[in-house]
Order: sequence, then C-alpha cells, then structure tokens
Amino acid sequence: MTRKTWFSLCLFFLLNGMSSFAAENEREPYDDRYCTSCHGTDGRGNEAVQAPRLAGMEPWYLQRQLENFRAGIRGAHPRDIEGIAMRAMAVKLSNRSIADIIEWVGSWETGPAEITIVGDASVGEILYGTCAACHGSNAEGNEAIAAPALAGQNDWYLITQLRNFMAGYRGTHPQDRYGAQMRTMVNGLGDVTGIIDVVSYINTLSGNQGSSRLIQN
Amino acid sequence: MSKLVSRREFLNLLAATGGTAAALKAGAALGLLPGGATAATLDLLNLGASNRKVTILGSGLSGLTVAYELGKYGYDCTILEASHRCGGRIFTVRHGDLIDEIGNRQYCEFDDEPHMYFNAGAARIPSIHRNVLAYCKELGVELEVFINENKTSYVQDDNLLGGKAIRNIDYTTNMRGFMAELLAKSLTIEEMNAPFTVREAETLLGMIRSFGDLGEDDLYRGSFRAGYAAGGFLNHGVQKDMIAFRDLLKSQAGRGLMSANEGDTGPILLQAVGGMDKLIQGFTNHVGDRVKYRARVASVHVRDDGVEVAYDQDGVRHLIKADYCFNCIPTHIMTGIEHNFPADYVTAMKYVRRGTAYKAAFQAKERFWEQEDIYGGITWMNNPSQQIWYPSHGIHKAKGIVLASYDYGDGSYHTKMTQRARIEAHLKDGEKVHPNYRNLLEKPITIAWHRMNHMLGCSARWTRSRGGWTHDEEQMYHHLQSPVNGRHYFIGDQISMHSAWQESAVMSAQWALAHLDRRVRAELA
Repeated sequence: MTRKTWFSLCLFFLLNGMSSFAAENEREPYDDRYCTSCHGTDGRGNEAVQAPRLAGMEPWYLQRQLENFRAGIRGAHPRDIEGIAMRAMAVKLSNRSIADIIEWVGSWETGPAEITIVGDASVGEILYGTCAACHGSNAEGNEAIAAPALAGQNDWYLITQLRNFMAGYRGTHPQDRYGAQMRTMVNGLGDVTGIIDVVSYINTLSGNQGSSRLIQN
Repeated sequence: MSKLVSRREFLNLLAATGGTAAALKAGAALGLLPGGATAATLDLLNLGASNRKVTILGSGLSGLTVAYELGKYGYDCTILEASHRCGGRIFTVRHGDLIDEIGNRQYCEFDDEPHMYFNAGAARIPSIHRNVLAYCKELGVELEVFINENKTSYVQDDNLLGGKAIRNIDYTTNMRGFMAELLAKSLTIEEMNAPFTVREAETLLGMIRSFGDLGEDDLYRGSFRAGYAAGGFLNHGVQKDMIAFRDLLKSQAGRGLMSANEGDTGPILLQAVGGMDKLIQGFTNHVGDRVKYRARVASVHVRDDGVEVAYDQDGVRHLIKADYCFNCIPTHIMTGIEHNFPADYVTAMKYVRRGTAYKAAFQAKERFWEQEDIYGGITWMNNPSQQIWYPSHGIHKAKGIVLASYDYGDGSYHTKMTQRARIEAHLKDGEKVHPNYRNLLEKPITIAWHRMNHMLGCSARWTRSRGGWTHDEEQMYHHLQSPVNGRHYFIGDQISMHSAWQESAVMSAQWALAHLDRRVRAELA
C-alpha cells in the first residue's frame, strides 16, 4: 500500500471515530491506529510487551485470529496474559475495521527478526518433521489446511504460543478447531526444551539473525 | 542472651518509629537526594551564534525539562509526541478528556468545574523534591497542601472486627499503645542501664510511654488520642473503648498505615492548584510551539555526526536530523521501534519491566466524606481496590472527585477486567466503608497504565529481588544512562533508581543536560 493509501485509511479511521461523537465535536478525536503501539514500527513485533510480529502475517490467518480474539475463542483463558490484552482491543473491532487493519498490515515490510534464544537446532530439525506436514518444510505455511507460516515470526512469540498450547492456555475453547489440533501436535515436542529446539530450527528457516547492525558506544 | 536479643529488637523498633532517618539514609545511598539544601541550578553554555539542533522524543516531564532548559541557552529543539497531549504520566483528567486506553477508550464525564479533576498519574509532590518544586516556582505553578494521611479516614479489613470500618486514629492509637506497652514491659530499668546511662534509659522509657500514651504502671488502657466516645468540649470527655490487641493483629493494615507518613509520602506533600498538569502547562507556555503532536517515532539511528529520527504523522513518514536526541519513550516501547543502539543498551532496555499501576475515580454527587469529619486523606482497605482518596481541594463545595482504587503494586487484577466489571468491583469494595457509596457516586473513569496508548506501563521496574539492586542491574542502569555516541540520551524517571516520582524525571533530564553541556563546551572551546 502506498503512503497515500495509508493516509486515506487513517483519515477513514479518524472520521469514523469522530462520527460516533458528532454531538461532542469539541472532544479529542481518536483513530484506530493502535496496532503499532504494541506491535512496534511497521508491525515488527516488540518483545518487551510480548506483542508479536504482524508484518508478513498472512491475511487469512490474521483475520481468523482477530475474529477469534473478538469472539473470545482466543484470549479468554485467565493465564493467557497477552491474549487477554489483545482480546480487549479486538472486541471493539467491526468487520470493516478488521478488513482495514489487514490491508494496513499488508503494507508493512520489515527485516529479519532478531534471534533471542539458544537451542539445539539439529534436535529441532528432527522434531520439526511433524510440524512440516502442515506448516511446510520451510515453515512457509499452507492456507489450504489453515496452517500459518512460522518463518519470520519472533522466536520468543513462537515459544510463548507453543507453551500456551501445551499448558492449555490456548486451543482449549470448544470452537477453536485448529487450536485443538495444535494442542495434540505440541505434545510431540515433549517439554520446554523441545519447544526451544524446534523454534531454534525454525529460526534457521526464517533468515532470522542476531543484531549485526549495532554500533559501539 | 534472650534479653540481649530483645534489647536489640527494641532498638530496631525504635529506629522504625523514626523511619524518615532510615529513608533518608537509603535515599543518600542511591545518590539521589542532593546534599545541599537547594535545587540543582543548571548553568549551561549559551550557544550564542552557534547552532545546535535537538530532537526530543516524548513530551513527558523529562522531555519538557530538556526542551525548556535548552531553549534558554539557544538550542533549536523539536519535540515529537505520539499522543494528542503532553505530560505522559502527569495526566489530569477533566470534563470531556479522552482517556486513550487500548481496548477501553473513555471520555471523562465529570462536571465542568475547576475543582472537578482527577490526577490519574502523578498526584503528590514531597516537600523534599526540590527540583520539581523549583520548576513550580520558576514557572508560576501555584501549589497547595496535599493531605496524605488523615486520622479520621478509615481502615477496613474483613478480618478486623467483622469487617467493620474503623477510623485510622482508632487503629493507630491502640496499636501504638500496645506496642509501647510491650516495649516498656520487656525492659527493666536495670537492664537498660547496661547499654545506657540512667538518664538515657529514663529518657527512652519516657519516650516509649509518650509514644503509646501509657499509664504510670506502663500499661495501656486506651487513650483520649483516639477522640471521645462522647462529650469532650462542654462536658467531660468519655474515653473510647480499647480495641483488643489480638483483634488488631488480625489485620495487616498496620503495614501500610504505620508507614503512611514515612519516606516520600511523609509530610508535607504538595499538589498543583487545579491539577498536577499545571506544571506541564507551565512548561508548554514556553516550549509548546516546539511540540509535534500525534507524531509517532518509527526509527532512531545514531550516527557519528548526529541522530536521525523517522516519525509518522498524518499518514506520512518524516525524517528529522539533529545533533542530539533526548529520548523519554518508555524502554519497553522503544524496543519495538527500529534503532541501531549498542547491544548493552538493548539488553538493559529489555531488562526493565513495566509497572502495572492502576487508578479509578468517580464523581461524588455530594461530599459525603465531609459529613463523616473527613477532609482529604486516604482510607485503607484490605481488598483489591486498596485505597480511597478524598480530595484535598474543593473543601465544602457541592461535589468532588474521589479516588476509588489505587493499586500501585500489581494493577493487573483490575486491568484484566472489562470497564463494567472494574466499576462494579470498586463499588462493592468501597461500600464496605461507606454504606451508601454506590448511590453517591457516578461518572466513573479507570486508568490502567499498562494499557494506556503510547505508554503501555507505569513506572519502570529495575529490580527483581527483594534485596534491592544487584550489581548487574546497576551496570545496566548506568549503560542506559550513558549516551550513545555522546548523542542519544535516554531520560525520564525510568533512568533513575527511584522511578515513579516527578523529581526523578527532572533529575534524569538535568543529569543528561549537564553531561551534554560538558561535550558542547569542549566542542566550542
């Protein structure tokens, strides 16, 4: 999306927000450009607030997750701390807002994610064999079977989600069909060590890298 | 041996009752309390004909301090502010104001009157916070006394006397009496003579008796200090019944109550007349034209010859170059913004955790607390809402704004709730103290700092252990305080060892300014 389209989109949000308070036109207008507050510049993800990378996320996956958050299929478990925060945001979204957000997210480009974990990628490669059936051998995802891409995502986020699936903080809602599948599959990883190993392997598929652009003090 | 131990315990207890000394010592150890009796005076080099551009990220108190001071000395400052307002966590909420909580946007419906405001963030200025007070004076910010502890406010604990709210003075008078009696009984004058002279021992015992209002026999039998059960003015006063020591000990309330007057919250505290953001207005009266609003920083790149900052405003990405950059964006937000900071900087940024403090307030249809002899101060509750604050200002007016909850430790309990559930929780908690609370309150607002747009947290939390700062934590703190390439400074109360106070924000800015000044003097020499 061009900068101009983005501007129109922002204007839409702005006017949309303002119209709800037409009678109170002296009030501070708001917009719905909240995504980057938590998810970082151009949706690159922010570890410090545990908000994952949105840039590069497939539109169909993003839509399903926003709808799940909105419906309480995701983010309702009391131990899913970040999910609860996301759900509060998502319940305010209309179908139109979700469509606009997906378009906005589609306009973002960002570099490789920073590697933040150390695991045994060779063990992870073996474990990943099961994952590859759905998520693809390069972790590129497969829309036909509703499996999202894993490559390019923040490693710490993948770990949190795998742990959440394992602990039942995610994927236990009766309507979360794909989450239930993940709950079954994640058991194959054994424990946290297995999770870290498999994510270490996914890092090798992602082109993720350490922080190489750093300057010295 | 046991007697010796109890004597040592006694001395520790005595030290605790004079706790400000301990607090001051702690403060001095942190290197924060200035040695002199005056605020720091910045005497920066005036640039004269030279030109220096400065980009300031965030218009919190520290950012505004930098802009104001550098403006005096000829620097060309631009402030990028992501939100629609200046002040960050100095946030006074009034009629019509937007509370931009992500997922829970609110407009304040309070009556539109000068005294009908709520300090949702900073609310108290200790009299020892000299640098903030100096700016209040310099910028013409009128101050008034903030009432923190109020002896007529309440203590409510379901474990105490069947949950009946009792007055602060009833709790503290009785608790002091019993504590003093224990102390007096645990030491004979002969025992005290061992470490002290006779005169010292007598002085000490006299203080203990006075502290608890003991009788000649060193027994506590209640005290008129808790007020009268009846009479006391035109007739003899009737003493109130004692509350049994064992009953008092069923509550932990004393932990907060007995130290409410210590440390930073010790008397006297002050507040800005008309709302704490009057200090922010004082600054923006001078540098307001330097602020770009709704300008969200997208990247910060420190170069050899300056700092490049990209920001989004009105749907367009802009680039601004400057010689220096002062950054009061919270570290946990900065980690999500593109940058080229060094690795030790990034490690420190990621280490700092974000505070979860939470506040809620209602408009009161009438000042019901004044009918219960309460003028300002805090009621302590052993429930998740924790505190009720009665306003120190607007006394005897028709209405007022009352704080219905302040969770400064872990506000996530209420943060996770919907707005409706938060409000119901506070009404339910507060009506244990004021039975008609629910009917007397209206127009609620809640502020979950963890979810406030562009802040996503209350004050920075550096330490993770009860033992205080570790060596590693101190190292990280000093890394983050040090500038990158001498050009990018992190500022704000997050760059202090005493976060959550305005004084810390101001002092962090002053530290960075003094550091910059040394560099600029060398360059221009």
